[in-house]
Formats: sequence, C-alpha cells, structure tokens
Amino acid sequence: MSDQPRVFLVDDHELMRAGIRAEISGSVTIIGEADEVAAAIDLIGERCPDVVLLDVHLPHGGGLMVLREVHRTNPEIRFLALSVSDASEDVISIVRAGARGYVTKNISGTELIEAIMRVAAGDAVFSPRLAGFVLDAFAGSKGEDFVASLDVELDQLTPRERQVLRLIARGYAYRDIAGELGISTKTVESHVSSVLRKLQLSNRHQLTNWASERDLG
Amino acid sequence: MPVTTADRPTLGTPQRPFRRSRENAVLGGVAGGIAIRFGVSERTIRILFALGALAGGVGLLAYVTTWITVRRSGEDQSIIERLTRHEKQRHTIFVIFIAIVVTLMLFHSIGLHQLGSFAWTVALSVIGLFAVWRGTSADERAGIDATISAAPILAHTPTSRRALAARVLAGAVLIIIGLVVLSRVGGIWGAAVPSLLGAITLLGGLLILLAPWWLETVRDLSHERRERVRAEERATMVAHLHDSVLQTLTLIERSAGDEQAVRRFARGQERELRKWLFDPNHAGEASNQVETVSTVAKRIEAEVEDDYGVRVELVIVGDCAVDEHLLAMLAAGKEAAVNAAKWSGAPIVSIYIEVEPELITMFIRDTGTGFDTTQVASDRHGIAWSIRGRMDQHGGRTVVKSELGSGTEIELAIPRRKL
Repeated sequence: MSDQPRVFLVDDHELMRAGIRAEISGSVTIIGEADEVAAAIDLIGERCPDVVLLDVHLPHGGGLMVLREVHRTNPEIRFLALSVSDASEDVISIVRAGARGYVTKNISGTELIEAIMRVAAGDAVFSPRLAGFVLDAFAGSKGEDFVASLDVELDQLTPRERQVLRLIARGYAYRDIAGELGISTKTVESHVSSVLRKLQLSNRHQLTNWASERDLG
Repeated sequence: MPVTTADRPTLGTPQRPFRRSRENAVLGGVAGGIAIRFGVSERTIRILFALGALAGGVGLLAYVTTWITVRRSGEDQSIIERLTRHEKQRHTIFVIFIAIVVTLMLFHSIGLHQLGSFAWTVALSVIGLFAVWRGTSADERAGIDATISAAPILAHTPTSRRALAARVLAGAVLIIIGLVVLSRVGGIWGAAVPSLLGAITLLGGLLILLAPWWLETVRDLSHERRERVRAEERATMVAHLHDSVLQTLTLIERSAGDEQAVRRFARGQERELRKWLFDPNHAGEASNQVETVSTVAKRIEAEVEDDYGVRVELVIVGDCAVDEHLLAMLAAGKEAAVNAAKWSGAPIVSIYIEVEPELITMFIRDTGTGFDTTQVASDRHGIAWSIRGRMDQHGGRTVVKSELGSGTEIELAIPRRKL
C-alpha cells in the first residue's frame, strides 16, 4: 500500500471527480479532493500529496492559481494538469508555470495511472497534442529567432529531443519510442524531462507571448 | 487573454504587467495599478496625480488617458480597444472631439482665452471620461456606479422641496462666484490662480445643480442598452444550444442501446462545441476561407470518427495552403485512417502531420492487430495500392510498417511545391 503514490484531486465537476476516482483508486491512494481554488490551496498545503491531478479550468483563478500558490510554499509537490481544452495557450501556460505534464480528460484509465506514476517518479508526461504544440513553438529554430535568443541552448531542441517529440505526437507510448530509437525507456524519459525544462525556462518569443498574456513572462 | 494582477502593491517589488487595479481602486484603479506595477505606496501615486491636476490639469489628463488605454486587471481589452472595435463608435468619438475643439475656439474668440491650458486639459479629460462611460465593462461600470451613488451631495435626486431649493441655491451661488472670479482675471494674482479657482468653482456649481438628473439619464440609458445586448447574446446562445446540443442529446437517448452510435454522437457534438467555443472563426464564414492542411485534416478527423466510431487523435505541426498534390496525400491519409478504423480493432487512430519548409509528412498509426506486410489479403492489397498509387502519382512516397499484434503505421511524404 505504502508505495502507492498519494494523489490529490482538484476538479470542480463532481461527476468528473467520481469518474477519475473510480478509474485510478485501485492503483493510487487518493488522499483528498477539492472543487475550488481556495480549498485546494489549503488542503494541498496541509496534506502534501505526491501528485496533484489539476483541472486547468476552475472558476476564480483557474488551475494556474492553485499551482502557483502551492509552489510558493511547497515547490516539491508535483502537478499533472488535466483539461478538456485544446487551446495551446492553456496548455503552454500551465506547463510553463510548473506542471510536470498535461493530459486531456478523454485519456483512458490505464494511461492516466501510467501518467501519474511517471509524474510521481519525477518525470514528465506529454500528450500527443502537447508534443505537437512544443514542436510548433520551437519550429524554425535555424536562424530566424537566432538574434532574439540570448540562450541558444535553452531556445532549441536537440535533434534527438525533436525525434522523441515527433514520436509522441505520432501516438507512440514511451516504451514504443524506446524500441523505435533503440534506447532505454529511462533515456526517453530524460529527453522528455529536458524538453520540459526548456519549455519552462526558454524565452522564445512564441512561448513568452503565450505566457506573458497570462502574466507568466 | 485576460490577466489578473495582485490586489495590493508589494513595496519595493515591481510587478508586471501593468494593469489597472481591480481591488485597489477609487475610480479607475489607475493609481492602484501604478503602485502595484512599481512597488510603491498607492497614496504616493494619488498625491502625485492630485498635484499634477493642479499644474494646469496635467495630472487629470494623465489619469484619464491611463484609464482608457490600460487594461483592467482580469479583462482582455482596454476601454479604447473596446470602443474602437466598431466603426460607429469611432465616428462618435471623432465628432465629439471636433465639437469640443470648436467650442474652445469660440471661447477663445469671445475673450475667455485666459482659461488657457487648463481649459484644454479639462476638455480632453471630458472626452476621456465620455469614453470611459461608453467603453467600460459591465463589471467595472457597476463599481463606478456604486462609488458615484455613495458620493455626498452629487448623487441624490432631491425629494423634498427644501432639498431642491438648497441645491439650486448652492449651485447658483457657486456658478456666480465662479463667473465673477473668471471675469476679474488679471491684477495682482496674475492669470493662472484666479482662472483655476474660477473654473473649479464654476464646474462645482454646475455639478451640484445638474448632476443628479444627468446621472439618472445616463444610468437608464446604459442599463437599457446592457439589457438589450444581454438579451441578444442569450438568444444566440439558446439558438445554438437548441440546434446542436439538444438535438444530439435526443439522438443519444434514442439510441441508448447502441454503444457505437452513442460514442459517435457524443464525439461529434464535442467537436462541434469545441469549435464553437474555441475557434474565433466559427461565425459561419468558413466558405470563403482558404483551405489549408489543417482545415482539410480536421474534416478528415470528423468524417472518420463519424463513420467508424473510433477516436482520431489529430496533431498538426505547422500549416500551409493545400494544392492538388497535398489534397491527394491527405486523401491517401484518409484512406489509411479508414483502413485502421475498419480493420485494426484499435479504439484510437493517431494522425500526425508536419509541414516543413521543403517536405510535408503524414503518419497514420494504430495499435491494433497489424498484418504481415509480405502476405496481404487481396482486398487489403487493393487498398494499400490505392494509397501507394496516389502517392506515386504525385511524387510522394509511402512507407508501411506493420507487425502482427502490435499495430500498423503508414508514413506518407510529399515534397512541398512553392505556390
């Protein structure tokens, strides 16, 4: 029991919470739920879960506010963002604010459990769509943004990272990617984590535009 | 995208971006916003504005300008952005501007030129306040309304005869004093001080005399307009919900036994609602839009989902207009997706399209049963040929990878031709 990750659930829809609870409760320990921003911030701070499953769209400030407030005091708590939205700015801003991953709500139960485990272990989780956004945001890195970027290393993806993201976007699971590229799953995870780091630290204008619009720049 | 800023300034810590404060506001939240932005006390900023207002009205003008050009915390448009969206509004603003300039020139020619710079700044500020009145969000307007209603003297419509008399008397006395002071400009005080005092007294008198009735009219007008806009919005929303969501729910109820149909209806409705909510171009003008890779691909996603009851996970990186070669590739890709939906047994078909400067690639993947690429059944052979044949004809290439038990992936690529 004790090695199951302790998960906290934040979603304003009772039905959605019930559905998620039913799907994951066998494999993780759910230590609390909240349906609004203020309660979520208090309870998460109190119970210190391993992973917070966070709905991006909450009334009164959104998941972004929960994430920022919790990270101010407990930066070690990991967040996995859940959303029904496809809007790139939602996704990018929550990930830039510090979420370890992003999945859409129509994800299957087993995939969700796998994603939680991965985040609990400190790795990153990208949905195909997030991988697409990131490729889009980091596209055209040869030259056109060269002048604007001070930190070239942060503002570009390595060819390997690009390859990994492409495979995620094509619908490959991590172990399929490992098989395809002839590397270990651990290496795939470290590539994805490195992309996450660049996503959070890079100043590429496309990212900062999305983010500064939401006061993250 | 709306941005919400902090409620209070943190002294010594500037915070970005600059927004008018929502919580920390007396009128427009300008001083509060500046205080938060630069991390100083809002009282300092307010005193600076007040001093600036005495210096030829500059502070007043600066305040009003900031009010209309800077977005309020949590809102996605500034007052001026909201106003200039409509041509008609722009015309109104222009006409008022001209009217005020003409009035000032008239004043000038009948000898009231002593008013000088003060009159100009006040006049411009009045235009600004008019803009505020027309362009604030409903939420902010409610706040201002409350502030004005709470103001002493100004806001209460006189109910008794005595109150009315007192108001008229006070107003008239102030107006007369103001006019007297203004007419004696010059002498030992010079021009600036008396004209300032006179103008303030005159304005005060006018306000006391007329404010209650004016406010009432303004409130009624804006209230009525707001109601009308709200009713229109509601009607559009109701029409949409009825046409799409209600219809689909009925369909789902009627086919409750058929799992595949239910899933198909739900997915179709989800797609449509998403488009309605998140796509700014949904307002029916799709027909004269240029067809691009992404519009065609989204249509393919919808068709395959509708016809075969699978989920299509579509990811597109980059975009460009389509030509006949690209259309051929997308058609071949659709064929592949239909194949996957029909034969593989997998619940999800992934489509990934990447538009690069020289090359466009498309991957169609499922994690279903797969097949042996060397021994294809004759019907599947035909379909594979129709994919490959199409691609060859347009100078593209096709790679089919499949393994029994772990799925199939088809890769299509075509060089990009400059249009």
